[in-house]
Amino acid sequence: MNSSRSLGLMLLTPAIVLVVLFFLVPVALTAVFSFTNMSTATGITGGAYQIGPSSLQRLGDKYGFPELAERLSQPSYVIDERGLVALDAAGVDASTITEMRTHLGEVFPTRREAERMIKGLSARPSTREVKQISEQFNRSLLDTRYESEGDLLAGLDALGVEVTPAERDAVAASSYSGWTWTTDNFRRMVSTPDTLRTLINTVFYVAIVLVLFNTGYAMFLAITTYYMPETTGGIFRSIWLLPRITPPVIYVLMWKWLAWDTGFISMFLGQFGVAPKNWMLDSSTNAWVFVILINGFVGASMGMPVFSSALRAIPKSQFYASEVDGASRWQQIRYIILPQMRWPILFVTCYQTLSLLASFDLILLSTEGGPGGATEVWSLMTYHTALNNYAGNLEYGYGTALSLVLVVIGVTLSLIYLRVFNYNALVAKPLIEQ
Amino acid sequence: MRILLDKFSKSFGTTKVIEDLTLEVADGEMLALLGPSGCGKSTTLFAICGIHKVTGGRILFGDRDVTDLPSQARSVGVVFQSYALYPHMTVAENIAFPLQVKKVAPDQIKREVDAIAALVHIENLLGRRPAELSGGQQQRVALARALVRKPDVLLLDEPLANLDAKLRLEMRSEIRRIQLETGITAILVTHDQVEAMSMCDRIAIMNAGEIVQLATPTEMYHNPRTAFVAGFLGNPPIAFLRGTARDGGFALDNSDIRLPLPVGTLSPADGSKLTLGIRPEDFGPLGDIAIPGKVSFVETQGRENLYDVRLADGSVLRSIQPVRGDIAVGNEVAWSASGAKVMVFGENGARI
Ligand SMILES: Nc1ncnc2c1ncn2[C@@H]1O[C@H](COP(=O)(O)OP(=O)(O)OP(=O)(O)O)[C@@H](O)[C@H]1O
Ligand SMILES: [Mg+2]
Repeated sequence: MNSSRSLGLMLLTPAIVLVVLFFLVPVALTAVFSFTNMSTATGITGGAYQIGPSSLQRLGDKYGFPELAERLSQPSYVIDERGLVALDAAGVDASTITEMRTHLGEVFPTRREAERMIKGLSARPSTREVKQISEQFNRSLLDTRYESEGDLLAGLDALGVEVTPAERDAVAASSYSGWTWTTDNFRRMVSTPDTLRTLINTVFYVAIVLVLFNTGYAMFLAITTYYMPETTGGIFRSIWLLPRITPPVIYVLMWKWLAWDTGFISMFLGQFGVAPKNWMLDSSTNAWVFVILINGFVGASMGMPVFSSALRAIPKSQFYASEVDGASRWQQIRYIILPQMRWPILFVTCYQTLSLLASFDLILLSTEGGPGGATEVWSLMTYHTALNNYAGNLEYGYGTALSLVLVVIGVTLSLIYLRVFNYNALVAKPLIEQ
Repeated sequence: MRILLDKFSKSFGTTKVIEDLTLEVADGEMLALLGPSGCGKSTTLFAICGIHKVTGGRILFGDRDVTDLPSQARSVGVVFQSYALYPHMTVAENIAFPLQVKKVAPDQIKREVDAIAALVHIENLLGRRPAELSGGQQQRVALARALVRKPDVLLLDEPLANLDAKLRLEMRSEIRRIQLETGITAILVTHDQVEAMSMCDRIAIMNAGEIVQLATPTEMYHNPRTAFVAGFLGNPPIAFLRGTARDGGFALDNSDIRLPLPVGTLSPADGSKLTLGIRPEDFGPLGDIAIPGKVSFVETQGRENLYDVRLADGSVLRSIQPVRGDIAVGNEVAWSASGAKVMVFGENGARI
């Protein structure tokens, strides 16, 4: 008993490891990353503290300390008494210090300008000395990189800027250049108008392709080829498998050839005096037609063999019986075939909903979500946000938040499907073996 | 309604299964199509109900030529060997199906389903699914479904093959009762001779796509036209002795046993090969043609015992007698066959 249990556990271990590694960990990581603001700008490792124009902007606008921001943004090199004292301590010769004193109170916005003045001193300090001197008058935190919050605050102290604790925190937070935990992704998602449009696109796309092609058309093919003579049916079934076997790039390329302004449609319609144009990207309606057809034919080639084999599993005698019972072919399909296809239909619907939700390769290759975002679906938006966008700042955090929504939708839909198709009744054991 | 198969042929590709078969089933009659496996019984049945297209000849229901009509238009009820119930429908839905596809009004469907369910005694099962029924119950449902739309013809393809012995006995009389009550013309396909004899008005024995003999069960039993028919009917089966005609008598091969031929047998030519058929009930202490042998096996059947008697040439005769305690394996016996009942078959198997 005990040993059989541990043996069972041992046999299960590889499965458990795989499930955890490849199924649970990705989902968990998606959930974790979706609560960060990681992007190309923040990097994915920890960041540093650096006060700069944008951090000061944030300090003023977001944290409500505009005066502090103003103060920190002040020009940086000031010839003051403190600097002169420091020069003395650093062992700079007295004549130079005296000459510097004549510039007392002068302000230089940049290091370059300050150093130009120092270079002009009668002592003609060397480049190394110039640096040493200018350093003593640096009165700005701007563009200095601090590895930790402590360093930043030390720098603030060294500058002699008087700050309240609240101000300290605000400066630290606003100047942090790395990623942070945040729920802003979801707030942004809800408030961006593009989100709703993409959501509607996605629902439309998934529903249409699923109903018309992945189940409807696939079932149509399975049933018609079932009633054909054996070899004819087999030939047709293999033809319909071709889109699945063709590499996606080639497959989409062929559609593009069809639709280009020098392609087949344009050439054909040119015979009737229609001006050539890119039929795929011409209007959003056309783009949708192509996106649906391109995905539909591939999708149908998955459902067809599933339905075909399920059909074959129905005993021939049931078809004979229904014929002698007087059922027409249509009644045979309606009352004998379709009710017994519930399980394969559930399988295909479930599987295809998830794959339609998650995959965007064919859309990316064909319309790239265009024209003007008309065919942008959720997963493509995720891709564009996190992995490839025009602005160049890849927003990993926001992207994963978007894909987390897909995960939630997918899981919810699966549960609903199981409910609707009464999964438990399907797998229940019959009282008597058939 | 009368069924007439007129020179009907059926081949699958190049395999000829049935050639020029002619058979008439009278109105209200129940006919058994009896024969060994693969002789073409199901093929004949499938041709009658229109599942298979015939390759030659005609099929008539009454005076209506249905040869080219599809199954749907033929008005036949079929009980398939596997029952072919629709697993996703309840019993009531299964039975209602033939009416439902005819778009009969729902309340009338309900009335007819209830009536037919009462006829086959399954009123209490109407809500179940086929998977929740025993074999016998499934069989009744299949029968009800075949009968519900009152077809002209009822076809049964080995309907009892899947049932256990007791249930088979029960369903035999049930099916016959229902057939008589409805007065429907029926064809029963079977390879069980007991079934054929006990259920049907007439039996057509088939072999290799041909009908060898068509007769009532009694006629067929007592007057088989060939050794094949004689061998097919009867349980325990008839025993055959092989020998040669000699001096107007029968000389058993490989032995010196000589037997007289039954009175009335046309004297066969001297030296021609003969086969004697002797049924177990016609061989025992009371006959008039003594055949000596040794008891080689005793099978106790309760009321009766079945004795195997091995003759000098090694062939075996069977005798069925009331149980008696005085005979054991190894005993020499000199039982006799009743001369009037012994059947003589010529070299080609035909009765002489
Ligand atoms: N679809 C088919 N294609 C080719 N040959 C077939 C086909 N159906 C039946 N046959 C052949 O026809 C012959 C008769 O078959 P059939 O099914 O009528 O036999 P049967 O008398 O019903 O036998 P059983 O008692 O075993 O059911 C068999 O030799 C079988 O191999
Ligand atoms: Mg058969």
